[in-house]
Amino acid sequence: MRTKIGILLAGTATVCATGAAHAQTAAQNTTAGTTVSNTASVTYSVNGTAQTTNSTTASFVVDRKVNLTVIYDQPAATQVNLGQTAAYTRYKVTNTTNGTQDFLVNAFQSGIVGGLLTGTDDFNLTNFKVFVDTNGDGVYDPAVDTRTYIDELAPDNSVEVFIVGDVPATGTINQADVALQVIAATGGTANTQGAALVATDLSLGNADNTVDVVFADGDSDGIGVDIIRNGQGWAYGSYVIATRNVALTVNKTALILSDGVNALNPKALPGAVVEYCMIANNATLTASANSVTITDPVPANTTYVPGSLAIGLPGGTCTLLPTITAPFTGSYDTPNNRIIANLGTVIGGGIVAVSFKVTIN
Amino acid sequence: MHLPMPALLLASVIATPALAAGPLQVTAKVLTEQKTRAADGSVRVALVPARRVVPGDRVIFVLGYRNTGSQPIGNIVLDNPVPAAIAYRGPSQSSAAPDVSVDGKTYGPLATLRVRTADGATRAAGPDDVTNVRWRLANAVPGGAQGQLSFQAVLK
Repeated sequence: MRTKIGILLAGTATVCATGAAHAQTAAQNTTAGTTVSNTASVTYSVNGTAQTTNSTTASFVVDRKVNLTVIYDQPAATQVNLGQTAAYTRYKVTNTTNGTQDFLVNAFQSGIVGGLLTGTDDFNLTNFKVFVDTNGDGVYDPAVDTRTYIDELAPDNSVEVFIVGDVPATGTINQADVALQVIAATGGTANTQGAALVATDLSLGNADNTVDVVFADGDSDGIGVDIIRNGQGWAYGSYVIATRNVALTVNKTALILSDGVNALNPKALPGAVVEYCMIANNATLTASANSVTITDPVPANTTYVPGSLAIGLPGGTCTLLPTITAPFTGSYDTPNNRIIANLGTVIGGGIVAVSFKVTIN
Repeated sequence: MHLPMPALLLASVIATPALAAGPLQVTAKVLTEQKTRAADGSVRVALVPARRVVPGDRVIFVLGYRNTGSQPIGNIVLDNPVPAAIAYRGPSQSSAAPDVSVDGKTYGPLATLRVRTADGATRAAGPDDVTNVRWRLANAVPGGAQGQLSFQAVLK
């Protein structure tokens, strides 16, 4: 029973009590585990004697409101080449929980629902892994970014996660779709992977003065892979084969070095030494040309100068050095009267010079 | 929206016993809204002791007072500092409206209060600025009588 005896004070309530919390970021949220206590101080008088007292103290512990966002943090699909290793897609994970959390990360590349991404998934990456951007530079560094879980992410902080894999060298492939799953986990211990959080049972008898886990995350994909309030976030990305050919050109020139008569301006006389120069250039900056071989027959009525084949950086009259520089190999093919220059891989934008000398018969 | 107030007034489930032994006993409680969905799809909101509270949740601070003596008690003033992690929102529907303060010194209706900004000017105070809530009971409380005051807030 309650007897209402309080009389309204002068002045009417002017505050509308419908306001919910203002839009807040997690950092402004009260940290999980904080105890909120309330005590009122009271003054009163009995028979004219002033007295004071305090109310009892009511308190509760702020529970953990688990939330996170996971986004595909790049403007378009990652462009890859056949046979490329350590190709990565980038994702950003933001902790919007009112506490520091670990997050578990898992990468998937099969069973991804179509329609989320444009194009059709027709190949899988090999050596498929997921790493956290430990040094925070937004670029996958194989030597540095080796952590496979997110460690101690403070409220409102973000970290990049990379899905990394090797592209097969199969010629017909076009696109690989991948998915990143992020699961909120227990934080609090640095350099230790926490266990995945489990929401506290709502019907638990005594949840007073303990930090309950309440999942407050949304459905990040709307297709049923992620569901609301499961403590997980998902994001999807893809790799597409960008280049199937490169603009590889070889430009050949001839230079008469000496004719035994004219020192200043040698002519193409019999006995003159002529240097042939071939400049190989890969003009496709984004892709390497592999297994590049140049074969050049020694022209009729000329004789190859033994040991004159040089392969390397361009410079001087053709090659900077008069020798075959590593990693290139090459030789004079005596039976077929031709030179063979193995340039191996010419990277995007790379230039390699090949020169050899002949004498005019 | 009607908030059914269960008969929890004297159940100090989460309150610690009062130290003072005077005739006026004041019991503090914190309640939170618990929404349950009935079979017909309607949502019922019940007030339950605050056990599960996360940032953004509505909480209701309740002060129950009772005159355990036989003499009437007059001039009752209950001053409730708003806890740090709590943002005041307004009086509860069933409660007398309190005076509020944004500095712990000057009390009045919120619309009359102003707060000083960093540049030295003043602006009208909002619910987030409230630091203290105070009720001043105009009438004496007879022996054995009791009552309840409450305000609504949000966990920051």
